[in-house]
Amino acid sequence: MSAPVPVLTVPGEPPSSAAAVRAAGLTKTHGSGETAVHALAGVDVAFARGAFTAIMGPSGSGKSTLMHCLAGLDSATAGSVWLGDTELTSLRDDALTRLRRERIGFVFQSFNLLPVLDARENIVLPLQLAGRRPDPAWFDAVVARLGLRERLRHRPAELSGGQQQRVAVARALLPRPDVVFADEPTGNLDSRTGAEVLDLLRSSVRETGQTVVMVTHDPIAAAYADRVVLLADGRLAGEIDAPTADSVVSALRGLGA
Amino acid sequence: MRSVTLASVRAHAGRLVASCLAIVLAVAFVVATLVLNETTRSTVLTAAGAQYVGADAVVGTDDGSSLLDAVPTVSAVDGVAAVAPEWQTSVQAVLPGRTGAEFLLVGTAADDAALRWQRLADGALPDRAGEVAVSDRVTAEVGDVLQVVGVAPDGTGSTAEVTVTGVVDLGGDPEAGLYGRAWATPEQAQAWGAADPTELRIAGAPGTDPELLAAAVRDALPDEGITVRTGTEQAEVRAASMLGNATALAAVLLVFGTVAVVVAGLVIANTFAVLLAQRTRELALLRCVGATARQVRRSVLGEAALTGLAASLLGVGAGIGLAAVVSRLAEGVDSPVPLSGLSVPWPAVAAGLAVGVLTTLLAALAPARGATRVAPLAALRPTDPAPLHSRPGVLRLVLGLLLLLPGAALLVLGVLLPHVLVALPGGVLSFLGVVLLAQRAVPPVVRAAGGLVTRAGGVPARLAAGNATRNPGRTAATATALLIGVTLTTAMVVGTASTRASASAGLAAAYPADVVVEGLSGQLPGTLLPQLEGVDGVAGGTALRSAEVTGPDGQAWTASGVDAATAVPVLRSTVDTPLPDSGEVVVPEWQAEAWAVTDGDVVSLDGPAGSAPLRVQVAEESPLLLTGADLARLDPAAPVGQLWLRLADAEAGAQDAVVDAVTDTVGTAVGDAQVTGVVSLRRQMNEVLDVLLLVVTGLLGVAVVIALIGVGNTLALSVVERRQENGLLRAMGLTRRQLRGLLAWESVLVAGVAAVLGVVLGGVYGMAGTASVLGMAGEVVLAVPWLQVAAIVVVATVAGLLASVLPARCAVRTPPVAALAG
Ligand SMILES: Nc1ncnc2c1ncn2[C@@H]1O[C@H](COP(=O)(O)OP(=O)(O)O)[C@@H](O)[C@H]1O
Ligand SMILES: [Mg+2]
Repeated sequence: MSAPVPVLTVPGEPPSSAAAVRAAGLTKTHGSGETAVHALAGVDVAFARGAFTAIMGPSGSGKSTLMHCLAGLDSATAGSVWLGDTELTSLRDDALTRLRRERIGFVFQSFNLLPVLDARENIVLPLQLAGRRPDPAWFDAVVARLGLRERLRHRPAELSGGQQQRVAVARALLPRPDVVFADEPTGNLDSRTGAEVLDLLRSSVRETGQTVVMVTHDPIAAAYADRVVLLADGRLAGEIDAPTADSVVSALRGLGA
Repeated sequence: MRSVTLASVRAHAGRLVASCLAIVLAVAFVVATLVLNETTRSTVLTAAGAQYVGADAVVGTDDGSSLLDAVPTVSAVDGVAAVAPEWQTSVQAVLPGRTGAEFLLVGTAADDAALRWQRLADGALPDRAGEVAVSDRVTAEVGDVLQVVGVAPDGTGSTAEVTVTGVVDLGGDPEAGLYGRAWATPEQAQAWGAADPTELRIAGAPGTDPELLAAAVRDALPDEGITVRTGTEQAEVRAASMLGNATALAAVLLVFGTVAVVVAGLVIANTFAVLLAQRTRELALLRCVGATARQVRRSVLGEAALTGLAASLLGVGAGIGLAAVVSRLAEGVDSPVPLSGLSVPWPAVAAGLAVGVLTTLLAALAPARGATRVAPLAALRPTDPAPLHSRPGVLRLVLGLLLLLPGAALLVLGVLLPHVLVALPGGVLSFLGVVLLAQRAVPPVVRAAGGLVTRAGGVPARLAAGNATRNPGRTAATATALLIGVTLTTAMVVGTASTRASASAGLAAAYPADVVVEGLSGQLPGTLLPQLEGVDGVAGGTALRSAEVTGPDGQAWTASGVDAATAVPVLRSTVDTPLPDSGEVVVPEWQAEAWAVTDGDVVSLDGPAGSAPLRVQVAEESPLLLTGADLARLDPAAPVGQLWLRLADAEAGAQDAVVDAVTDTVGTAVGDAQVTGVVSLRRQMNEVLDVLLLVVTGLLGVAVVIALIGVGNTLALSVVERRQENGLLRAMGLTRRQLRGLLAWESVLVAGVAAVLGVVLGGVYGMAGTASVLGMAGEVVLAVPWLQVAAIVVVATVAGLLASVLPARCAVRTPPVAALAG
């Protein structure tokens, strides 16, 4: 990154100690009776505003399910989820959809972008779906920060994996959502480009007070976060403040992963 | 592999239903068209040739000379059981409750029962003088008494009361509506002045072979000027003359057959291609587990053959059923299109089966080839996102151009000549070319149209525009299927409108006056015209005076005097009936030949008051016409001989009533005047065209429905392929409504583009077709019914919208998480 790094600031948003998103008694059961799978078995968790939190746990521990429920993509079997003051579990599909495009940003592991749209169109898609126009100064700042200025006219097929993930990050940041959820955002990237993407997520937290919740199974990725929440068998299994790769690895080992 | 084929058919039964439906409908379409054609043909044959089909042999003369002397000779021929000479004459009859007389063409009710061909709706045929049976156009019932004015051979007129004994059903005879007909015993017909018979109908002894009988009769008669045919042959000759000329009939049949086959083939091909594309992964999996490319191909083709055969059998049944329903309905409503009973020609069944199986196999060939090229690894990849670009083959482009350019040239030539047998192959070739080229032409048009709707429909429309051109090959194939149906429907609608306009113009040219009143004695009272002009519904009229004049051949002819100033507003056309200028005489072609004069020659006509040199203007068919002033110079005392009336434009039924009112007014004023009106003929023609249009567009509607199934199919496939993508969009905040909108826009784009292109093409083909078919017979008037054409576009587009409902329902039901999971 040799380009000058602009300083991003969000005017008029005082830091708050209240949680950006929290869940109480969150339960998610797939199927019923004998074959029922308890993906989440009563999770109470809160994610602080302006913090970068990683959710970790062994494969099948319910990380993705938790994230989907927190983000209003999936409905909970029991329990409740709040985004700020809004209770998600009581919302109907349309309200939930509007809430997603206005207040939540997403970065997925793969298949993040629509192949028919170019990078710029992909970035502004959530705003356009909401019928809003991007703030040009903010758009320029985000695009410059992510180094995508030269790539805006390219279709996803013409972008490398790292570039695609950066476009996805730009899309997630542009509407200035309450929370950005990222599900294994570096899972398909080599370690160098993965580090770049993690850097971008972390700097958006540091410099603009963006709240980010990231699911990962990679201890090195988790070390970028301010805090790690550990999950095992659909339950909370501890947390680590100011994690390092080593502390995460040993915590995971304690879970038998 | 056979077990795989069978298992595959079983497993995909649900999915195959869609393609089966397409094949069933297409085959039914082919079969129903062919069966209805055959039914129409045989109905016309039995109706128009009704008086012949029952006879074993028919003797006719070429020059109209008498066959009376031949009767004993023929009767003596071995195997001849009965001979019925056809005595024909005409009378004026006053129906009960009416005052005006009506023209009746009188024919013979044969003495021998075997030669009595008339189908009775009621009552019986006459057995003695003083009795008649009438056609159902004559509004009389059994037991009614008619006042009949006949003219005996010696020229003396007589009025007699005759009793109606029966009503004859001429259903299906194209000429049935032209004038009233009556049948009397040979004696009665002769008493009414029938000329010597020029036709003998012969019944053979039971078990006689008509061919042999006709040959025996032929041998017994002199060669000169006599034609002997079997009854069936004679019926065919008359049916052919009824239906225009025989080649035109064959050409029309050919057009329908070709259209049916082409639509069917393309629609099946498209449906099958889409269905196989849906199964790429599954075929790849077969390859993974060790099936060779050949085995996969054989399996796919076997499946196609099985599907094709089953669906074709259903289609043949459905087609015959459809034809039966149509013909039953047509009979029930007394349709003017001759349809009665049902004739199922075996070639129709064979054609239906062959078309179904062969086109399904052919249609499966290309996808089967594609399937064998699928890399086994394709099965292991997650559902491929649809490719953004696929290149339509150069071969297709070259072949398309090779078909389109010469085809279009032939079509233009066929219009210019004009000859339908040149235009028809031109039309088929160029249309096949269009279908091939549509692969290239449709995607850019969809893209352009996408640009338009993007402005109107927001983000979903913009995404839809992108999606619609993602897989240009598939979009083009889907659109092409619809385009074919829309093109043909439009071509039919435009063709019918043009035929109607041309026929109306032709009718107006042949019968320029709506109603003609003629005095049989050669004169009408001068007060009759103002009286008739007072009748409600009569728009105007003009009187023609008539006088005996002597021509250059020294013989006396009846000439009429007409004033252009009063005649022009009355006539609907002066194409075939040119009006004379001062100093001119309009001479009909046959008379010009007799006088050996041509256009521009001067002839001298003599009348009681003097003679006048007049410049000749030859007309195809016309009375001998002078201006009123010129006629007055020849005969100042010339009486009014004829009235031409024009009726106010109104619905045909209302005009019929006006004609009746005119007939009654005339009948009250004059005893022996004849009223002829062209109104019922015009109405009949319109009815024929309306029903024809209804039947054909109904059949083509089936093609459009099949195409719309194709649109829905393709969209369903896209929904399956874009599961992840739609999930992503939903996660990004696309509401269910917007997702439905996205799919609806995509569908409307494809359907709308196909509809618009189809309407433009159809308009061209419709006009070219009409010009080449009708141009052979005369003047062509092209007409585009804009309202109907607009309706086609709207219906096709809205139907496209409806086709998106089911796939959209499936798409919005998938929760975003499930979709993202892939
Ligand atoms: N649609 C589903 N049906 C049944 N079980 C499911 C479904 N989705 C997830 N699961 C189960 O729920 C558990 C948690 O899954 P997930 O949240 O994807 O775990 P992680 O992301 O931590 O690997 C797993 O055991 C998984 O098999
Ligand atoms: Mg996961």
